[in-house]
Amino acid sequence: MAPSKPSHKGKPGGKLGSAAKKPSGSKPKGSAPTGISKRQQKSQTLLKPGGAQKTKSKPVNNGRKKKRVYTEAELDIPKLNSIIPAGIAKPKGQKKGKIFVDDAESMIAIMSVVNAEKEGQVESKIMRARQLEEVREAKRKEAEKRSAEKEKKFEERKQGLKKKRSKQSDKSEFDDVENEAPQKDKKSKKRVSFG
Amino acid sequence: MRPLTESETKTLFEKLATYCGKGIQNLIDDPNSKSDRMVFRIQKDRVYYVRESLANLATSVKREALLSLGTCLGKFTKTGKFRLHVTSLSIIAPHARYKVWVKPNGEMPYLYGGNVLKAHVGRWSEDCPEHQGVIVLNMSDTPLGFGVSARSTAEARRLDPTGIVTFRQADIGEYLREEDTLFTT
Repeated sequence: MAPSKPSHKGKPGGKLGSAAKKPSGSKPKGSAPTGISKRQQKSQTLLKPGGAQKTKSKPVNNGRKKKRVYTEAELDIPKLNSIIPAGIAKPKGQKKGKIFVDDAESMIAIMSVVNAEKEGQVESKIMRARQLEEVREAKRKEAEKRSAEKEKKFEERKQGLKKKRSKQSDKSEFDDVENEAPQKDKKSKKRVSFG
Repeated sequence: MRPLTESETKTLFEKLATYCGKGIQNLIDDPNSKSDRMVFRIQKDRVYYVRESLANLATSVKREALLSLGTCLGKFTKTGKFRLHVTSLSIIAPHARYKVWVKPNGEMPYLYGGNVLKAHVGRWSEDCPEHQGVIVLNMSDTPLGFGVSARSTAEARRLDPTGIVTFRQADIGEYLREEDTLFTT
């Protein structure tokens, strides 16, 4: 154990010693041929994947202020403007599925509403039928009156014609007696025969 | 089997109200009945009017196995309307608002599925409007079926004897004519 310890210690020590010597010697050697200044070297290290992230984020953060992110509540958007999908619009806490009507009170309530509606419909139907009936009755009466008037006129005309005829017939009777003989003469005179 | 929803109840009552007057409130809550109350239950698409105790007992039968219970009032169509069956006649006839009494010579034509003609009418309710539900009875007050008035009473008076007074909706002849399909679900 004892010899191993110093050997172990010695190795790194020796290495360190060589390493301490080597970099001091090699650095100026490497830098001298390339001719890169310290600043350029720094910029070169930026291109390396490891170093790039370290240095990149820093100037961005420093250059601009971090933007504030607003929540929806802070923005104060009117509710109508937001999107509520139709299927999800149900209020919370509502029971799912069908709502049954099984108690007598609610059934009677529904029935009274329905009855009132039907009653109104029937009433309006009856009223309309009555009105139509009245109109029809009035039209019928008017038509009857008109036809009666027409009949009356017709009868009057008929009577007038009858009277005229009777007067004429009286006159003709008298005429017949007077003109019987000359008429016969006239007829014989006018007769024409051919062949 | 389940109770009716609100919209179903409304549709059912609207149909019943076309045939019945205010008496249909007795269907829900009859003060004279001493036994337990009557309820409406829907099984598949058919609506039954049944005693509550019987409806409760029927819950022990699974839906597919339950064919019928109580009195079938009618069925909901696929468009959501309600169609009364002839089996509901015994329930709506006592509460009917408008009635038509058919003379013996008109009973058979009606029971064979014909409409009610004016020549067959013995009596009718006054002030019946057009297209209103009416119950058809024979002269001894036995309900034969129900239908819809074709004309108002005033117009029907002027109708010729062969004119239709009531369009048939259902008649008790269906118990024979529709024997095979009446109770199938």
